[in-house]
Amino acid sequence: MTDTIVAPTAQVTPTVEPLLRVVNVVKHFGAGGGASVKAVDGVSFAIMPGETVGLVGESGCGKSTLGRLITQLIPVSSGEVYLDGVDITKLRGEKLRQQRKQLQMIFQDPYASLDPRMTVGDIIAEPLVNFAMIKGRAKDVRVQELLRTVGLNPYFNNRYPHEFSGGQRQRIGIARALALNPKLIICDEPVSALDVSIQAQIINLLEDLQREFELTYLFIAHDLSVVRHISNRVMVMYLGRICEIAPSEDLYTSQEHPYTRALLSSIPVPDPRIESKRRLVELSGEIPSPLNPPSGCRFHTRCPIAQVPGVCADVEPQLELKGDGHLAACHFSEQVRTKIAIVN
Amino acid sequence: MTDAILEVRNLSTHFFTDDGEVKAVRDVSFSIAPGETVGIVGESGCGKSVTAMSVMGLVGRPGKVVGGEIMFRGRDLLKLSKEEFRNIRGRDIAMIFQDPLSSMNPVLRVGYQIDEAMYAHDKIPRDQVERRAIDLLAQVRVSDAARRIRQFPHQFSGGMRQRAMIAMGLSNKPDLLIADEPTTALDVTVQAQILELLRDLNEQTGAAIILITHNLGVVAGLCKRVLVMYAGEIVEEGTVEQIFESPQHPYTWSLLRSVPRIDARRGHRLLSIEGLPPDLIDLPQGCKFNPRCPFRVERCFNESPPIEQVAPAQYAACWVTMERAYAEMGAGDIIDTSPGAASGVHPAGRTLPAAEVPAALAEPVGD
Ligand SMILES: Nc1ncnc2c1ncn2[C@@H]1O[C@H](COP(=O)(O)OP(=O)(O)OP(=O)(O)O)[C@@H](O)[C@H]1O
Ligand SMILES: Nc1ncnc2c1ncn2[C@@H]1O[C@H](COP(=O)(O)OP(=O)(O)OP(=O)(O)O)[C@@H](O)[C@H]1O
Ligand code: SF4
Ligand code: SF4
Ligand SMILES: [Mg+2]
Ligand SMILES: [Mg+2]
Repeated sequence: MTDTIVAPTAQVTPTVEPLLRVVNVVKHFGAGGGASVKAVDGVSFAIMPGETVGLVGESGCGKSTLGRLITQLIPVSSGEVYLDGVDITKLRGEKLRQQRKQLQMIFQDPYASLDPRMTVGDIIAEPLVNFAMIKGRAKDVRVQELLRTVGLNPYFNNRYPHEFSGGQRQRIGIARALALNPKLIICDEPVSALDVSIQAQIINLLEDLQREFELTYLFIAHDLSVVRHISNRVMVMYLGRICEIAPSEDLYTSQEHPYTRALLSSIPVPDPRIESKRRLVELSGEIPSPLNPPSGCRFHTRCPIAQVPGVCADVEPQLELKGDGHLAACHFSEQVRTKIAIVN
Repeated sequence: MTDAILEVRNLSTHFFTDDGEVKAVRDVSFSIAPGETVGIVGESGCGKSVTAMSVMGLVGRPGKVVGGEIMFRGRDLLKLSKEEFRNIRGRDIAMIFQDPLSSMNPVLRVGYQIDEAMYAHDKIPRDQVERRAIDLLAQVRVSDAARRIRQFPHQFSGGMRQRAMIAMGLSNKPDLLIADEPTTALDVTVQAQILELLRDLNEQTGAAIILITHNLGVVAGLCKRVLVMYAGEIVEEGTVEQIFESPQHPYTWSLLRSVPRIDARRGHRLLSIEGLPPDLIDLPQGCKFNPRCPFRVERCFNESPPIEQVAPAQYAACWVTMERAYAEMGAGDIIDTSPGAASGVHPAGRTLPAAEVPAALAEPVGD
């Protein structure tokens, strides 16, 4: 039995209000000649305070766009984004500024996201200055405190970004994101550009900071291993839509969407014994263009169990409850684990 | 081993820059048997690509192979003329690179570029070349190959370009294929397909493969043997099972424990490797891993450990090795991975390099 859920918050304990609630958010970018890139095409979910929710999916599926929509870096085409119950897409001016303080973003590329002409101290202090909260000596003290929080030497505040390694620059980006005591941090591939040995340092730091400052994270990555490690729940995105949301443990043991299953089968495990048994679910064809997503279920052109012609090509499946806190958008989710083998 | 197809002995490659001599690859030795699949792993800058480029004879200024031998089928490639080298490169040894877009010519059709790769070595008569280009693209599972050979590289997706590069690499049926991070720029689903393809090719054509990557999972799936590089040296070598199940070098051990695994339970903390790799211009004394090693002992600061046999077919360059670290330093339970944490060796009077100062010890400001 499956229930179609109306509000995406049905999955969580109703006594606590979600910190973030995204309702039917759409972003279409104009692509010339009347065409539009349907980068985010009707996405709804909620994040509870203190939670880490992971977001995975192939390149171009709309992960960063969704992050930028939530932080209001770009305007939504339609839909609502509630932060603490307030729809921030409707706010303007000072009210928006005040809400935005609660939302910060950490970017993938620690090289490109820091202004090379500014000192590290100025980079970290920028949000403090912009929001006119503190200046002068108090500002310097705060910057040094932030540097220490992210594991950097506080005396580094007069240096420039090029004097730091990738991992250290990512720490600088994290310090800047923490400056205004935000509640929610959107981490957009914060470790993807880093070396394997440095990734662990940053992941551990993000986990420590979450505990210390009661932060809530939306953690974007294309590496499902990293996402699973850090997240309470994971959302899988395909071509502008969420196709599965599940507690991280469930997602690994029981997938309800064929795409998630294929994604899992693609991830190599550093263990030769497991690798020799793993079977790849090959997805036929290329990732379709977000300019013109396939009809019905947008995964039907690559899905190994699609019924085409038939319901998969005609009817778009909606996210439905498949288990405790586990949602998937597939007409045939009960066949996913029986029909698609991932071990020999 | 005399039946090796490639045997690299004591290879050293340095770069002579304005800042100083970058000792990128030092005294590296390994051999590859026909049809073997060998992985080279290690973090960014450890010398994986420079090793491969040295074998291919493609190290340009300011770099120079400053020592060693590269024996290919019994001939030292370093003693060949440019012309002789070019004949071997592309025909007997082929290389595929990380970024397929920058290594393909954007203004030439894909089919033409595959043809060129073949013309260059005249193994195949001209009239059969187009047929062969189509076959090759089909073999690397590019659908609709007859039409695709007339397209330009930008009309291919990232995964298809990488397939086309592999097709070029295979066009002359090489005995050795060096794949330098062939999947790093690709999505996981495409990566998995490319790896399957390499596995099939190895089985079908018998070409030996050297796979260079920092992704340990990729190595576990494709390679039978693994070389681990750190700061320009091979620090450990063994079968894939040995490296993943009983690594003996602390660097290999740390690397394996620092990557999140999809099959691991949530909640356990990753063991990070503190600090950064050393500066290759100004290398530390003794073991190059000592500034980051939780298991270091006094000797590690002064004497560089030679690579020695630690088990049948397994070699490691370490004065301690993990066997001792488990038995004497409780390696199985450590949580603190800062330098010297497990061994307690923080020599008095020694000033730690900046990169080594653990975050917790960075001196507080007096305000
Ligand atoms: N400003 C823009 N104008 C037009 N199209 C855009 C713009 N930003 C993003 N897109 C398109 O929207 C789609 C989603 O892009 P997005 O960057 O959100 O993907 P992503 O999931 O973050 O991918 P990646 O993993 O590669 O970072 C892509 O097709 C992209 O080309
Ligand atoms: N042209 C050059 N001039 C100076 N130094 C160089 C040059 N090319 C490479 N190096 C240095 O040689 C070292 C080894 O580089 P190499 O490209 O082999 O690393 P790698 O292991 O392939 O790393 P990655 O995983 O980032 O590809 C690096 O420290 C690099 O800075
Ligand atoms: S709805 Fe149909 S096409 Fe879509 S994922 Fe499910 S089975 Fe596949
Ligand atoms: S124990 Fe000593 S020799 Fe072994 S890796 Fe550590 S520092 Fe190097
Ligand atoms: Mg992105
Ligand atoms: Mg390289």
